[in-house]
Amino acid sequence: MRTTLAWAALRRHPMRTLLAIFGLAIAAALLIDMVMLATGMRASFRSLLTSQGYQLRVTPKGTLPFDTEASVGGASALVASLRTHPDIDRVSPSLGTTVQVSIGDRATSAFALGTTAAVQGEYLLQGGREAAVDTVLREVVVNAAFLERLGATLGDTLDVGTERSAQLRQAGRRAQVVLVGVVRFLYVPPGLPAMAAPLPALQQFLGAAGRDRISLAMASVRVDGRDAEAQLARIEAVRQWIETEHPRVTAISTETAIVQVEERLAYFRQLAFILGALSLVIGVLLVTTLVSLSVNERLGELAVLRAIGVPQAGVLQQIMLEGLMLGLAGITLGLGLGLVTARWLNTILRDFPGLPADLDFFVWSPEAAWKALGMLLIASTVAGAIPAWRAARVRVAQALREEAVA
Amino acid sequence: MRLRFLRAPHVALLCCSLLAGPSLLGAQTPRDTVIGTPTVPLAPGRVAPSVRGIAIDERIAQDAGVRVGDTLRIAAEAGTTGEPVVVDALVRRSADPSEVARSEYRVRLHLDHLQRLTNAIDRVDRFAVAVRPEAGPSAVDSLLAGVNHVAFGFRAHASRDVAVESSRTFQVVDRFHRAIGGITIVASAVFLLCILLLKVEERRRAVAALRLAGLSRRTVALSVIAEAAVVAVLGSGVGAAIGWVATLAVNAHYQRVFRTPLTFALLTPRIALFAVSLSLVLGIVAGALAAWRLVRTPPLTLLGR
Amino acid sequence: MTAPTGNRDGTPLLEAHDVQRRYEAGESTVHALRGVSVAIRRGEFVAIVGASGSGKSTLLHLLGAVDAPDAGRVIFEGRDISRLSDAEATRLRLLRVGLVFQRFYLMPTLSALENVMLPMAEAGLAPAARRARAEELLRYVGLGERTGHRPTQLSGGEQQRVAVARALANEPALLLADEPTGELDAATGAALIALLQRLNADGLTCVLVTHDAALAQSAQRVITMKDGRIVQDTGASPS
Ligand SMILES: Nc1ncnc2c1ncn2[C@@H]1O[C@H](COP(=O)(O)OP(=O)(O)OP(=O)(O)O)[C@@H](O)[C@H]1O
Ligand SMILES: [Mg+2]
Repeated sequence: MRTTLAWAALRRHPMRTLLAIFGLAIAAALLIDMVMLATGMRASFRSLLTSQGYQLRVTPKGTLPFDTEASVGGASALVASLRTHPDIDRVSPSLGTTVQVSIGDRATSAFALGTTAAVQGEYLLQGGREAAVDTVLREVVVNAAFLERLGATLGDTLDVGTERSAQLRQAGRRAQVVLVGVVRFLYVPPGLPAMAAPLPALQQFLGAAGRDRISLAMASVRVDGRDAEAQLARIEAVRQWIETEHPRVTAISTETAIVQVEERLAYFRQLAFILGALSLVIGVLLVTTLVSLSVNERLGELAVLRAIGVPQAGVLQQIMLEGLMLGLAGITLGLGLGLVTARWLNTILRDFPGLPADLDFFVWSPEAAWKALGMLLIASTVAGAIPAWRAARVRVAQALREEAVA
Repeated sequence: MRLRFLRAPHVALLCCSLLAGPSLLGAQTPRDTVIGTPTVPLAPGRVAPSVRGIAIDERIAQDAGVRVGDTLRIAAEAGTTGEPVVVDALVRRSADPSEVARSEYRVRLHLDHLQRLTNAIDRVDRFAVAVRPEAGPSAVDSLLAGVNHVAFGFRAHASRDVAVESSRTFQVVDRFHRAIGGITIVASAVFLLCILLLKVEERRRAVAALRLAGLSRRTVALSVIAEAAVVAVLGSGVGAAIGWVATLAVNAHYQRVFRTPLTFALLTPRIALFAVSLSLVLGIVAGALAAWRLVRTPPLTLLGR
Repeated sequence: MTAPTGNRDGTPLLEAHDVQRRYEAGESTVHALRGVSVAIRRGEFVAIVGASGSGKSTLLHLLGAVDAPDAGRVIFEGRDISRLSDAEATRLRLLRVGLVFQRFYLMPTLSALENVMLPMAEAGLAPAARRARAEELLRYVGLGERTGHRPTQLSGGEQQRVAVARALANEPALLLADEPTGELDAATGAALIALLQRLNADGLTCVLVTHDAALAQSAQRVITMKDGRIVQDTGASPS
């Protein structure tokens, strides 16, 4: 019966109710988008970092992976040392550099990565095969942007050089390579031509600049049945061990990398927070306005309800139900609206230069979204509570008298 | 007779959110400034007999407590001894939007010094070439074409193209801001309309009383509309003031976080005017909509009897 | 029919002992009731009359636990109801007292049937039972065919009959009505009086405030008030 009354009260002024629902829907949509933005970057970045099972990244002191051209020497000793640690079960070393490639009269510069195919966590093979293990640069795998830029196909032979010169041929090192596979690089922006070759082959190709050097080593820490907290502690212990054992490098765990990225993108999170908070406030404001309006108009009716024996809690409940119903309708509508706008905003931000293909800014994480919407629902119900409380406390005899006068 | 149907803070809050959207990143010409007092002038090609001079980021100076004249060691690779250098100058970062999120330190060395230190003898990453001012822009184009055609192992770019490319990050942020701004404006408009309409509805009894007292529909409608418009304008004025205070806070905060003199939020008169006129239009629309509904309904129905 | 029963013995159902009610209106104090004592026996049909502002509505509110006196006691079914908590008073009004108002005060958003079902729902009666009883009550007041209609689709007299049905919903021991015919024309008013008399004949104790001479005449007992006091009572029990 209370539900019937609440429902009837909303239906009494359909225009008004629709307007409030629409306003709430927009608040909900904004809130969802902002929650998706605030939690999405972190979630997406984490899943990207951990997608291949490596939790630690070892880089030249003070740098981020492939952020600069820095590399570390004595790589084999470093990698061997890492492999001795009992908690480390895999190490994937890699060397990155920029090379010039040409086929016929087409030429481009490309990002070249030396890796070990068996353990690498840098790319996924999509066609063809891996380059054969070799100490001389003979076979490479490349990404789609590479093929597109050069108009090349699998099986083609390319010219690779460290310098862009046709005229100054002798100045740089050069090699003829066969394109044997197509891959998708996880951390390379999709538009950038990139290739991968066996690490020793690339090192040899670069001569003195590449001898026994790597830009990055990824390490995977053994995972066992322990709880997440213990696992994190173990990774942190390994990380500290690496840094004390090898002062020339920095070891970055997934957690610290996320913190660093979050620092860089703090702006978006804060924007998200402010807009999200604002939409919550506005949602509350809308519901309060609508419900107080409806309560003020019905004060007499509510007094009659009290007079014929409806307890205070009953009146309170009936009016809060109105807020709840408005909230539910608005949120349902807002959910769809929010998902559509999130998709649109995501395509805008995905244009950021230098972003890996798999990084998203707006990620639907059910838990975060339901929490936010739950908050809005509670907020809109509580917003109805203020006028509801006023209505429930109405002095019955007095209100009846006023109703008779009105 | 005055109809008081709106409480200004509601509208102020909305206008605040309205302004949060289209705030702009101020575009400024990037140029690092030397702020330390060099004890030894930084002159290209000047070769000190033993210890070379370098310029360091103001950030390193702040974070590591280094001052002009201090001696540091510099090495191409961590873990190696490197060589001693003396800090000749401090450099302050330019207000370059594309650099905002980069937090690493920077040092500046004389070219020959860096070449020797990194074992990159006689190598450079790029040249900057200035064309004689009398040559004009067409000369730049033909020069570019010439260099790129001969391709001595280089690729030439006009500065403006480089600027366009390097500002892509900024453009994306800008587009995102525009999108968010648009959404915020639409959302605020809907909120404003909702609240104004609801608030006018709250006055239905007063309107009924006026109509019963014999005032014409026109008079009643006009008074409702005028009231809504005045309140919307007042509210957006308050909102603009709050927005202005917010820009101060936003700038202070992000300039500290990102250590840059860049302006993050800017409330221009145009934006303020836009906010106020948008609220005015919304106020009139909401007032008109509500008034139309109210004056059409017979007064007795309005009283709910 | 079902309706309301009550045993017509001599024990008072309701007693007021020297009740007073003041209203503070700004500086001045209005003494709406200046010490009223009255005893109403089960099965009585009492009309309270008097000039406007003499305190009739105030007294009725005190008798129905809608309001509480500043001094004095009200005893209903042997229980002092003048110092009840809000929750207790509400429960009492829901289950033991039926209220009828001059302006009907039906819920405009509910149908006639739903209006009558409302107090039963509050009392926790099962849906099927409350529907059956509400239909029966509407038939009893002569509106068996109008159950689905909204208050706005009913005439004043019909609305008042729905209000009476609603007041009877939880089988109260007492029916209180404040000028129930005040908004009705003579003929409709007469029909309503007949209805109330029929209820009283079935055993329900009725107390009504009225300016309506016809209604006052139909009562067994008439209490006249003036300036917050009872000045005449045709059926006071010799106590
Ligand atoms: N809230 C109030 N504040 C001040 N005075 C009040 C208030 N309520 C009632 N009164 C006064 O108390 C007195 C009794 O009021 P009451 O409504 O009981 O009279 P009544 O006999 O029912 O009159 P009527 O026949 O006009 O309904 C009146 O003088 C009235 O002005
Ligand atoms: Mg009265």
